[in-house]
Amino acid sequence: MFDRIRAFHRPTTVAQALRLFEAERRRGGRGRFLAGGTDLVVQRDRTLRWLVDLTCLPLGYVRRVHGGWAIGATTHMTEIEHSKPLLALADGILAEAAGTCGSQQIRNMATIGGNLANASPACDLAPPLLALDASVVITGPGGRRAMPLDRFFKGVHRTALNGALLVEIVVPAPPRGKAAWSYQKLGRLQSDIAVVNASAGVVLDGRGFCTRARIALGAVAPTPLRARRAEALLEGRRLDRAAIDAAAERAAAEAKPVSDVRGTAAYRRAMCRVLVTRALEECGHRAGRSL
Amino acid sequence: MSDLVIHVTVNGDARPWRIEPGDLLLDVLRREGYWGVKRGCETGECGACAVLLDGEPINSCLMFAAQADGRELLTIEGVAQGEKLHPVQEAFLDHGAVQCGYCTPAMVLCAKALLERSPAPTEAEVREMLSGVLCRCTGYKKPVEAVLAAAKAAPKARGKTARRAAR
Repeated sequence: MFDRIRAFHRPTTVAQALRLFEAERRRGGRGRFLAGGTDLVVQRDRTLRWLVDLTCLPLGYVRRVHGGWAIGATTHMTEIEHSKPLLALADGILAEAAGTCGSQQIRNMATIGGNLANASPACDLAPPLLALDASVVITGPGGRRAMPLDRFFKGVHRTALNGALLVEIVVPAPPRGKAAWSYQKLGRLQSDIAVVNASAGVVLDGRGFCTRARIALGAVAPTPLRARRAEALLEGRRLDRAAIDAAAERAAAEAKPVSDVRGTAAYRRAMCRVLVTRALEECGHRAGRSL
Repeated sequence: MSDLVIHVTVNGDARPWRIEPGDLLLDVLRREGYWGVKRGCETGECGACAVLLDGEPINSCLMFAAQADGRELLTIEGVAQGEKLHPVQEAFLDHGAVQCGYCTPAMVLCAKALLERSPAPTEAEVREMLSGVLCRCTGYKKPVEAVLAAAKAAPKARGKTARRAAR
């Protein structure tokens, strides 16, 4: 299957990985960075001539950083799923999402960086990370920079990387106040590729009004996205039945789904409304509100 | 193609392997005679090719062989100690958990990894673990029973039973 690959590099530092990538790129022929392989191998791209493997880089970690958490790009789904700090962060939605990324064997191989860099519209970690205002740190010939995750996705399997390397994901500490979070995924099984997935996060004041709202959707557009108009509709409003219904309706209208083997566009849009409703209801329950 | 030499430990034995850069681990394992590693869907869905990498299950169809350099692999061939079967293998026999047998090596390896991590798993944990290996004979009930029985038969649980019996 990959019999035309002529070079397989296993750098141990980020600098080395970038040098090898640049050298191969100049030499010609198509090549890619590789981590767990659970997307790359399945894609069966016979035009690949070289690979730069990232699994020897020291990027498997979850670390406390100023104002939040930093997750190394090659941290496995299994590690995120069981990480104590991530289970305690934002009602554990990131750990929960990682736990739905395929079977146990897949989660032992797949990495958070690979999940994002593959830029599948159905990427399981994107909705919770978008809801948490996460950013990504990328390193390339032009140096190291951070960018908000919602500017990282450019299209189906397209990102802002352009030969740079995703090295870290930064999740800021959630805002103070009564915050509640939810992750929702629709598939035949929880471990399947999502038909639709979604995350919500709300911060409520003492009277139950949303001071901040986040709604993020997956598998309903070329990229995972924030439903910003639905968020705006919630902010400043009391989180009640009417507000939830209105926000879910608005979020479904912001979706731009397509039909494929997992569902039709109409079904996806309808389920988008259902998942956003469930997500906001769960946020409400977690914040101790009766709806 | 330029060959690579990698050093892996398979079932406790150090193996230098001459591979090609694009070789997948599944292909190399089968080429080297580990036929208990089964070729199924080759897209990471069925789990028949599962092996333990440093003790944890992975699908060998999705891993490049070069990525196994310096790592420790366990295939079904290394699970029994000579003629002595592993408790999970014994339990699979006792409970009739084997039908055609194609998925059995992967199920046994996944179960072994689970029991090492979690010696007294719940039924839900066992089902979650086995969900990564598809059985086309659709025999899931017996393997679940077998893994739960193997957990009960482990020395720790036996000690408890013995103490109860002595009282």
